[in-house]
Parts: sequence; C-alpha cells; structure tokens
Amino acid sequence: MSDLLSSEIDLEKVLAGADEELAVRPDEPSLPPLEWAGKNLFGTGQGSIGAIVRGTFLTVIFAGLALLAYRAVLNFIFSENAGWDSVRINLRLLFTQAYPDENYTRVWVTVGVVAVLAGLSLGMTKVGPGFSFKRIATWLFSWGGLIVLGVLLREPSVLTDSNGETRFADSRGVELVRDTNNSLVYQNNDPAPSTGISALRENFGAAMGDRLGWWIIGLALLAIGAAIWFVLGDLRRRTTFVPAIPLALAGIGLLVSTTWWYRWGHYTFTEEGGFEYGPGELVATSTRIPWTIMFVLLVVAYLGGRLLARATASGPIRIGLSAAWLLAPFFTYYAILRGPIMDWAHVVSTDLPLWVLFAGLGGALLWLLTRPGLGEIGRILAVVVLAAAAFTWVGAFFGWFSMLQKVRLSVLFLGLTALLAPNFIGEARQRMKLVVGWVGFITIFHLLVTLINTASSIETPSEDFAGGFMVTIYVALFTMLFSFPLGVLLALARTSRMPLFRVMATVYIEAFRGVPLITMLFFFTVFVNIFLPGSMELSLMAAVTIAFVLFSAAYLAENVRGGMQAIRRGQYEASDALGLTTVQRTGFIVLPQALRVSIPPLVGQTIATFKETSLLAIVGVFDFLRMARDVVPAQTEFLGTRKPGLLFISAVYFIGAYAMSKYSQRLEKKLGVGER
Amino acid sequence: MSISDATTAVSEEMASRADMIVSDGVDKWYGDFQALKGVTATIKEREVVVVLGPSGSGKSTWIRCINRLEQHQDGRIMVDGVELTNDTRNIEKIRSEVGMVFQSFNLFPHITVLDNITLAPIWVRKKPRGEAEQLGRDLLERVGIPEQADKFPGQLSGGQQQRVAIARALAMEPRIMLFDEPTSALDPEMIKEVLDVMKELARSGMTMMVVTHEMGFAREVADRIIFMESGEIVEVGPPEHFFTNPTEDRTKLFLSQIL
Ligand SMILES: Nc1ncnc2c1ncn2[C@@H]1O[C@H](COP(=O)(O)OP(=O)(O)OP(=O)(O)O)[C@@H](O)[C@H]1O
Ligand SMILES: [Mg+2]
Repeated sequence: MSDLLSSEIDLEKVLAGADEELAVRPDEPSLPPLEWAGKNLFGTGQGSIGAIVRGTFLTVIFAGLALLAYRAVLNFIFSENAGWDSVRINLRLLFTQAYPDENYTRVWVTVGVVAVLAGLSLGMTKVGPGFSFKRIATWLFSWGGLIVLGVLLREPSVLTDSNGETRFADSRGVELVRDTNNSLVYQNNDPAPSTGISALRENFGAAMGDRLGWWIIGLALLAIGAAIWFVLGDLRRRTTFVPAIPLALAGIGLLVSTTWWYRWGHYTFTEEGGFEYGPGELVATSTRIPWTIMFVLLVVAYLGGRLLARATASGPIRIGLSAAWLLAPFFTYYAILRGPIMDWAHVVSTDLPLWVLFAGLGGALLWLLTRPGLGEIGRILAVVVLAAAAFTWVGAFFGWFSMLQKVRLSVLFLGLTALLAPNFIGEARQRMKLVVGWVGFITIFHLLVTLINTASSIETPSEDFAGGFMVTIYVALFTMLFSFPLGVLLALARTSRMPLFRVMATVYIEAFRGVPLITMLFFFTVFVNIFLPGSMELSLMAAVTIAFVLFSAAYLAENVRGGMQAIRRGQYEASDALGLTTVQRTGFIVLPQALRVSIPPLVGQTIATFKETSLLAIVGVFDFLRMARDVVPAQTEFLGTRKPGLLFISAVYFIGAYAMSKYSQRLEKKLGVGER
Repeated sequence: MSISDATTAVSEEMASRADMIVSDGVDKWYGDFQALKGVTATIKEREVVVVLGPSGSGKSTWIRCINRLEQHQDGRIMVDGVELTNDTRNIEKIRSEVGMVFQSFNLFPHITVLDNITLAPIWVRKKPRGEAEQLGRDLLERVGIPEQADKFPGQLSGGQQQRVAIARALAMEPRIMLFDEPTSALDPEMIKEVLDVMKELARSGMTMMVVTHEMGFAREVADRIIFMESGEIVEVGPPEHFFTNPTEDRTKLFLSQIL
C-alpha cells in the first residue's frame, strides 16, 4: 500500500508538475457519517430540542420536494416517447445550423484552434495539488447514490408495443387489446370495462431488471467511493491528491471515446434542401475521427504547454498566448468560418499601401514624439492628429469628401496613441516599445478590417451563415471583447474630473440601463440602417452584436466604477506623491485593483450576456434557442418535439455558465480578493 | 531669552545653506474653515525639521501642501527654487524630487514589494528595469528587509510595510523627504525599527520634514522644532531650547500635556 501511495505521489508530480510544492492546509477531519447527517440534516449538535425539530422538519420538506422534482425529470428523460432522437440526429444542426458539408472542415479547424489554445493555457497554468481522495470519494458517493436513487425512484415505464403504441390494462392490471373498431377490449373479445382503464405499466421487478445497467454503474461508483473512503485512513484520504487537469483530460477522453461506439447523430442535407440520415460521405461531417483529432490536439498542446511553462522566456509566451486568445474569435470567424474571397487587386492597390503608410509614418511620428526634451510640442502634435481625426468624422457627416472608414479609425487610433507618448519618453529601448506596440496593433487592425470587408465564399441556405450554438458563442465572445474595454472607458469617464466626460458617460449609462435589451435589439436590427450613410449597411450579426456591446458596456461600467470606489484615497495620494501621471496611475494602480474587486459582478454580467444571447431568437437570428424551439420541431420526422431540445440546450447553457462561475471563483482565490 | 554661543554658530552655518522649502504666508481654507493661517517658514538643505502640535492644528495640511496633495489658496510655496503653481510641469518636477511617507503606508497592495519600489523609477524616471531592480534591492537592504522583496505588502508587518514605503520614496532619489506621522499606526515594538531607518536617513544628510509625536526622536534628531496650533506656527526653535525653555504659553501647555 505504501508503495502504491508513493508511486501515486510521483505520478502526481509528473502530471500536475506542481512547479512549486504548494503547502496544503489540512482541512477539518471528517466526521463519521451518522454524526455528519445528524449535525447537518437534523440540527443535532446545537443541543436544543427546538433546533432538532426545526432541522428535521425542513430537511424532510425540502428533501421531499427535491425527490419529486428529480423523479419528474427522470420520468421525462427516460420515457419511451421523449424523442431524444430529435436531439441526437440534429446535433450538428443545433450547433452549426446549415453550415455546408463541403466546408465543414472549417468548423473543425476552428474547434482545433480552440483545443490547441486551451491545451497550451491549461499546460501553462500553475495548479494546486488537485483533488483530494476525500473529495473524489465524496463525488463517487454522490453520483452513485443519485443514480441508485434515480433507478429506484423512476416510475415503471408505460409499456409500448413494437409499433410504438401504448398498451392498456384494466384496473386489475389485465391487459386490453384493440379490436377491429380500435376500441379496447379483453383478449377474448369481451368488451372492456368502461372505467378503470389505464396505461399498462411494467411491474416493479421487471422495471428494476430493465435498469440492470444503471444498477451496475451506480453500485460500482458507490463501491469505488467506499473503497477509497474506508481503505485509506482519514489523514491519507485528505492528503492524497489526483491532479485536476489530467483527471479532466481523462474525462474528456472518455467522452470522446464514446463516438467510436455510439452514433451521436448524423444527417446530411440533400440538394433539395431537406436532409437525410446517414453518416455522410465526408470525414468532416462524421464524429469519431474529428473529435479524436481534437482530443489529441488538446493533449499534445497540454504537454507542450507544460514544457513551455518551464522555458525561461515563459513570460512573453504567456503574453503571446493571451493575445492569441483575444484574436482567436476574430480570426476563426472572419478568416476561417467565413472563407473570405480576397480581392487581391484591391489589397495591393489600397490595403497594403494604407498599412505601410500608417505603420511606417505612424511609427515614425511616435518615435519623434518620444524623443527626450521634446516638451510641449509632443502634446500639441497629438492634439493636431486627434483634431484631424475629428475632422474626418465631421466631413463624413456632412458628406464633404469620401474616405475609407478604416482610414478615419486609423487616424483616431494614432492620435490616441500619440497622447500616450509622453509615458514612453526615454532611451531607445523604451521608445521602441511604443513604436513596436503601435505597428503590431495597426497591422492586426488593418488585417481584420480587410478580412471583415471581404466577401464570404461560404454558401448557405440562409443569409447568415452562422447559426445554432455557433452564433450564440460568437455573439457572446464579441460582446465580451468589445464591451469590456468600452465599459472600462465609460467607468473612467464617469469618475473623471472633466465635467463633459462625466456628463456624457452618465447619460450613456443611464440611458442604456433604462432600456430593455430586447428593445435595443429591435432598434439595431430595424432602425439603425436608416441613420447610416447610404453606402453602409449593417449585417444582422453586426447589428445585434453592437446592440449587445452597447448594452453590456453600460452595466460593466457600473461594476468597474463600484470597484474603483472601493479603492482608498491613499492609493491615489501615494501615486501622486511618486509623480505618476494620471494615465500611469489609472493603468498601474487604480484599474488593476478596481478590476480585482469587481470580478464577481463582472463575471456575473458575462454570464448574463451569454444567456441573454437567446433573445436573438426573437429578432430573427437562428441562434441556439431558435434551432431547438422552432427549427427541429418543424422537421417532418420530429414534428412538434420541443421538450428534449429545450432540455438539451438548457444543459449546454448551464455548463457554460457554471464553468465561467467556477473559473471566476478560481480567479478570485488566485488574486486573493478580500485578503489584501 | 538667551541662546548659547554654540547654537548661534550652528545657526550661522545653517543660514549659509540653500533654501529647500520656503513657505511664505500660506493660507488654506476647507470651505469656510481656515486650516492654515499665514504659515511662514524656511527649511534649509540637509536640515531635519520636526513639526509638533495638537490634533487638528494643520500639520498634515501644511506638509501635504508642500507636494501639492492639497492646494493652498494664498501665499507662496517654493521647493528647491521652483514655485508651486497650477503649472503641471512644476508640480510633476516637485513631486519627483519630494518623497512622502504616509501614516497608513499606502503601499500598492496588488504588486510585490519590489514592484512597489521600482514602479516610479521605471515609469517616471525612465530607468531601465534591471537598474531599477538593483536600486530597489539595495534600498530594501538599507531599510533592513532585503528578504521581503518578492512578497506582497499584505504579507508584511506594519513596521516592515512602513520601511518599504520609505524605500519606495527613496527610490525616486528625492532631495527632500516628508513624513506625516510615520509611526502612529504602528505597534510600539515596531516603532523603533522605523525610527532607526529615519535616523540613519537624517545622518546621511537628507532634508527632512517630519510630523510626529515621538518626542525622543524629535529631541535626538531634529535640528529645529516647529510648533503649530490652530493653523498657525506658534514657536520655532532648536530642540534643547524648545523642550526645556519654551517661550510661548501655548507651547508650555502642550508640552505639559504630552510629557
Ligand atoms: N478634507 C478636509 N475637509 C475639511 N476639513 C479638513 C479636511 N482635512 C482637514 N481638515 C481640517 O483641517 C484641520 C487641520 O487638519 P490636519 O489634518 O492638518 O491636522 P493635524 O495637525 O494633522 O492633526 P492630527 O495630529 O490629528 O493628524 C482640522 O481641523 C481638520 O478638521
Ligand atoms: Mg495629521
């Protein structure tokens, strides 16, 4: 046993690679089960009869309610006519709508990008020792217990015959059959009693027999849990750990392996626009090979990440990884999923020269502005550039001259960056930081704008190629990426000393918080095109994303402002006394602390956005909810079958939201919110 | 009033030094309440001045006016020959030459001790990171806690935090250090370690202006003591004179209450 243990600990070190041995605070020793139950369920241990009566009463009431709900859910999930096939067959439809088969590899490339990034990130995070055996045993007990309880609790099924028809019995349980008139009678053609007819149910014994597989799974989990709990002593149970990430990877691996023996749904679209069952001819539209490749990518990236974490230059690698995460949504959406058709003539004649102009001249300008001893000229030049940017917008408004939107935005960005220049005055290396940052930024910006403006090569039945969960996740991601900086800026403006900024931010925030989101969505999908100059038109996706961004930013701004108010005045005074500029004070001292304090509300807002994307169904986007509620039930095979689809998407939403909430808890702990 | 010859000699030597801080008729109002009433004093290079006075007498207000954490409404403040006006460049220049240590430390809790110290040298003084970190470690050595560099402020004792705060201020290589009750928030056993650092700093020739209630420190280290009450300077003098033979009644009353 001791050999086994020591080898486990070695394995743990190798797998989790706990870079630093994290000391583990021993938690409370575990109570014996009966004592635990008494204390936690029946209010013993407080030494008063009243507490025991109250505790027992509440426990019985709530346990009863929970059991009833559990039983109802199980009855639905396992009933013969729940119609889970409508979900299983339509998985691809639910997740990607009618993304064309011949381009489906693009979806997998996108998933692959996420898998690689996720693997690298997991490999590079510093992790604690993992899950203690005590915790794992508790999980096994809970799940095993839940399964066994469910097996016992679920109603015996209603019997159906081979045609899927329900069978009936009289009140004594004697079976009735249909005669030629389709009315229910006894076997020997005696007419059935007019009352007391009910659907024929399995008897309890037969039902339990049918659920043998579940019995075995439930009891096995309980047995393994018990083995861990009772064979290991209390102390070792609490101090033996299984690394978390490898455990999670193993779980994912198990899930992926099911694609090899279970068909998680497959259908193909026909030329006529209908669909037919069958695995499809293309590897990309099957499940097992793509998912296996994704899993391998994930694991390989994880191992690579573990190696990189040890590398000396892991700091810059981490920054690069974060940047890749930020850019991934844009590139997967616009460059991979949309399959852009590049207009090379335009690229060479316009895009490239503009890029060279802004990267080169802009870089040179910033280099000049960071020269030591430049004095006031720097600020004046920055203001001049900003004024030029403002002028281009005014010009566009009155239609004086036409100009690419990209140019206007680039000038604006250059002006804003020029304002930052005084912070980088100094030696060549210091100055180079700003120039390199600018060139990188403007390169990515121009590349993105070019991609966004390029026509898509993907032909889909509906106008918007993105649908299903794909649209949900992209709208949520873009909303987060844009609303976050906007929200921070609004919070800064609202707390700024300049009345103009303060008033504008306050008006914005109050206005957007006072309008229902759904109204905003209608406004942006219906009205906004009226206000745009003739040549411009918002696509549906762009319109709804903008609505979400503007709406979410108002709430985020208030969260961040709350965080800023929690910062004590001494922090500002200390920064001022050290001679930090306002920008430096905000960037290094105020915002980092404010964001830390506001992690819980920020994540709350993010989760809300993720779920609120389901409102897209109302403004005509084929999002996840609409696929489950309208599209699947419209198929002839599954006419009207809504419940399983809705239950399924609820589960997916829940998993996403729960994962975010868990992540935020981890982040809070890591950043020590409340401790410092 | 008789001042010994030795004191006169010292005063003459002092008079020949450059003026570091000149406060000339400084008035400061909070709304209708006048917190400073024509405060006039000059602090010379390498001089250590301790400001005493009852609570609410305007000590903090005055010291905070000197690096523009508060804005005075009337009178003039000159620091190292630069006048404090609304011109931001002057304020920036003065702030980078004047270090300040607060009663409540005001360390940045979200970054390590070393980062607390190097932040301003890197971003305000534009020092290369390596050089700044070396400076930071040297300063931590000087205040006696080199081993705490990579901890977060919250993990340090009060006395250690205040020493980090002093190191942070010194990292800007200031010509003047202002202390506003640096030991008032500390447990008695930690006060000494902070005062020792301050004494060492005074010996090294730093110009210092210290608001404190530590009479022992004032007696031992101060070149001059300034006594304030109700926003006015009541009495100024060298410590031996101030503690043993004060002229003003208000000073006598104050001393009788605290000694
Ligand atoms: N922000 C403010 N607004 C209004 N009044 C203030 C403000 N700050 C200080 N005061 C008042 O100014 C006077 C001087 O305050 P100051 O803090 O300078 O006193 P102090 O001598 O430092 O006292 P202590 O020894 O208690 O620190 C006090 O009466 C105080 O109430
Ligand atoms: Mg004070």
